[in-house]
Amino acid sequence: MEEQKTNIDKVVGKSESNQDFNFKKFAWKQFKQNKPAYYSYKVLIFLIILAVLSPIIATDQPLYCKYKGVSMFPAFSFSNSCEIKNEDRTIEKIQYDIAEWKHLDATTIIFAPVAYNPNKTDYNNADYVAPGGKQIFIDKEGNEKPMPTKFRHWLGTGKGGEDVLSGLINGTRISLSIGIISMIIASFLGILLGAMAGYFGDKKLQTTRGSFWTMVVGVVIAYYYGFSVRSYNITDAFADSGVAVLLQLFISLIIFSLVVFLFYLLGKQVGKISFLSTRVFIPVDSMVSRLIEILISMPLLILIISISAIAKEKSMINLMVIIGLTTWTGIARLTRAEFLRISNLEYIQAAKSMGLKEYRIIFKHALPNALAPALVAIAFGVASAILIESALSFLGVGVPPSTVTWGSLLNAGHEQFSAWWLVVFPGLAIFLTVTIYNLMGEGLRDALDPRLKK
Amino acid sequence: MLQYILKRIFIFIPTLIAITLLGFIISVNAPGDPVERMVRPSIDDNAKTINVVEEKRAWREKLGLDLPVFYFSLTSVSRPDTLYRIIDKNEKEALDRLISIYGNWDAIQKYHLSLNKFYFSQLSFVADTNQLRKYDKNEVLETLNQLKFEASAIQGTYDKAVIEVKMNKITSLLKSYPFLEKFKSEFEIVRRDFLLIEKTSTPWKNYIPRVAFYSYKNQYHRWLFGDGGKFSRGLLLHGDFGTSYVTRQPISDVIYSKIGWSLFFTMLSVILAYFVSIPVGVRAAAKRGSRFDKSSSIVLFMLYSMPSFWLATLLIMTFANTDVFSWLPASGVKPPLGYPDGASFFEMVKISFPYIILPAICYTYSSFAFLSRTMRVSMLDVINQDYIRTARAKGLSEKKVIWKHGLRNALLPIITVFANVFPAAIGGSVIIESIFTIPGMGSEAIYAIQTNNYPMIIAILTITGFLTLVGYLISDILYAIVDPRISYN
Repeated sequence: MEEQKTNIDKVVGKSESNQDFNFKKFAWKQFKQNKPAYYSYKVLIFLIILAVLSPIIATDQPLYCKYKGVSMFPAFSFSNSCEIKNEDRTIEKIQYDIAEWKHLDATTIIFAPVAYNPNKTDYNNADYVAPGGKQIFIDKEGNEKPMPTKFRHWLGTGKGGEDVLSGLINGTRISLSIGIISMIIASFLGILLGAMAGYFGDKKLQTTRGSFWTMVVGVVIAYYYGFSVRSYNITDAFADSGVAVLLQLFISLIIFSLVVFLFYLLGKQVGKISFLSTRVFIPVDSMVSRLIEILISMPLLILIISISAIAKEKSMINLMVIIGLTTWTGIARLTRAEFLRISNLEYIQAAKSMGLKEYRIIFKHALPNALAPALVAIAFGVASAILIESALSFLGVGVPPSTVTWGSLLNAGHEQFSAWWLVVFPGLAIFLTVTIYNLMGEGLRDALDPRLKK
Repeated sequence: MLQYILKRIFIFIPTLIAITLLGFIISVNAPGDPVERMVRPSIDDNAKTINVVEEKRAWREKLGLDLPVFYFSLTSVSRPDTLYRIIDKNEKEALDRLISIYGNWDAIQKYHLSLNKFYFSQLSFVADTNQLRKYDKNEVLETLNQLKFEASAIQGTYDKAVIEVKMNKITSLLKSYPFLEKFKSEFEIVRRDFLLIEKTSTPWKNYIPRVAFYSYKNQYHRWLFGDGGKFSRGLLLHGDFGTSYVTRQPISDVIYSKIGWSLFFTMLSVILAYFVSIPVGVRAAAKRGSRFDKSSSIVLFMLYSMPSFWLATLLIMTFANTDVFSWLPASGVKPPLGYPDGASFFEMVKISFPYIILPAICYTYSSFAFLSRTMRVSMLDVINQDYIRTARAKGLSEKKVIWKHGLRNALLPIITVFANVFPAAIGGSVIIESIFTIPGMGSEAIYAIQTNNYPMIIAILTITGFLTLVGYLISDILYAIVDPRISYN
């Protein structure tokens, strides 16, 4: 702890007199003073709440319904149907997802604020009805009526009468989860590889010749037992379900790491043989830097659409993984640069001389001080992941066609320019989300850069 | 200097090889069987079926799919080196899965051969007319078709239960129609061979790894270097990317006809962005805190976050819409009927000009925003340095201080980001070209993805990767020219 504190003081450029100085508190204060960034942060919290609650904000299933004395909570319920016994002992079955809730003779019924599903059609208001246009509602008897306020399409409808507002609200969930989950994958990869490259460089990770080559063979064999042998299990899981894929990949990863670990132990013994006990360096930095160079020398969008073209299933999870696997380079580069600087500082040397384990130095002592630039890159990365996702769904590439996203709404608007609401609102949503992430990234950069301290 | 450039080019070679490898891995894993798409669908008829098999064989050879994938592969002891020779992709997968279950290739091969023999002897079956007299002609055809269907279904299956059901069906067919008598013995052999697989199974062989080496006659080598001009001239040496699955034309022809517009817009946007952003950035920095600085900052930031497809759609909706302003054409790069006959180059430029305006704006604005912001920051850095203060103290005019003394040093960072701007422009072309239907590589990429035209996708990925590397090279060289502090050694 002591070393960390001295380091923080060094980073901030403060003298020892200020003992109670807390960098996190200081950065948060700086961030708060940056008004655009701070308001973006508040808007983001609002958007996250909206995204989490979207299944009950914009759905055609009512939140609560009392029908023939039976209370139902369709929007919250996991089961999809409810059986109601009539007086004449016949059983009436209500299926939540296809029931005509708006025509039901219910005693009390509470609808969601936006009483439509994003991809369900409302044929009475099909063919692009404007937000302020005349919307009609056909009641149970078949009479045409003006639309009641609680069922209005506030932002108009699409070609088949799909509600735009409902699509926007559900699109929030998709965009935010793609941005955040793909960045979790990217930052895991980027921080891990960047930290290794920066900390070890080319000349610090030493091992014996024997254990090095044992590990090389071990990784190949681990790949063989983990993935080659099990390739059909994994392929079949893809045809089955997302959970099965995760399970199979998990089993494969466990086998892989077990075999690698066995070879690690074996390598230690092999390294004791006289010829094989020569010390060699592992050029971690060169390997990681080459990998980054290869990835950044391909235009990101073209790379992503090429990879998603061969994915057998079009799913959001695939898209998150693909974006995560291709966008970690920026984070890795910044983390690497920071680790290069930190690994030469005295407190790391002190930790080394105390005989601490390398992984402990990396993850406990160096990493907390190296996170700041990565954090900024992650904020910008979420913005670009959201942009990539909406561009892909705008082009109709790599996203399941039934999913309604901001990009797919915009694409629908591109087909019919008179329906300006299909162009303006989804575009604004993308623009707003990307802007708040960019503003927050800028705010973080300023707040975490001690040179700019006021 | 020349030495430095050569050294840079030398460093790019491994990266280029890695890009081709990545593209190749993607193309090998592409779903679907390309041969199935190349062979024209025909009416199901016995004579034609044999032709189709021959045609498939020819296409497979032409596309190089009869070769092993790479120089070596990691496989198991149970797998033979020759599995890649099997023509049909489903059949190959079924056999491979059988191996992964039972692990004894000898028995599986025997079963496969006898099944094939049975299948082909049916195709060439001519029924004895005497025997057939008691049956309806349609019934005979129907039965034969059914038999053929079941047999080919077995060829593509690896599930034991399914194979047994199908085999029972065939047995009952053979029993109930005496004119099929001659197949009985052949089918008995197939059945026996299948049972033998399970009896002699050695699944442990699947768990012993083995590295199989192939000669240079493999798909990757052929893709890179060609096969001596027989079918392919090779990627690296002659720019032959193979055959399009959609038009059956050479891909290089398609790309040569399309790359021009993409490069034109990319270069135009980069040049325009540099020309506009430098004055804007310098002015904003020189008058820090002024109204111009503040307003330009906000506008640039908004432009930076603006999705290009949204801006493009808004622009078309406003300026190329008969309901609002119908000033500019919405799509294409020239009139639908083409240029008038005998138009000179100058006239062609004049005709195409309105078509270029909207795409050029969409291509340019995001790199313009990025460059201006970079320019402003680097100019601010320079302005605070001592030599600028000295220049001012000398009594030079503010204009001269900024534009002559400041600008030169502030240009350095903006030149390095050329390496970011250029790939971004190439990548952005996918969206903008498909919105404005510009006949370039970007819209071709989207079309290729919609039609699962994998060789085209890989060709575009490789070419754009190569162009990006060229962009990096140019930015490195420019940097070395502009900054005398960089040593070339």
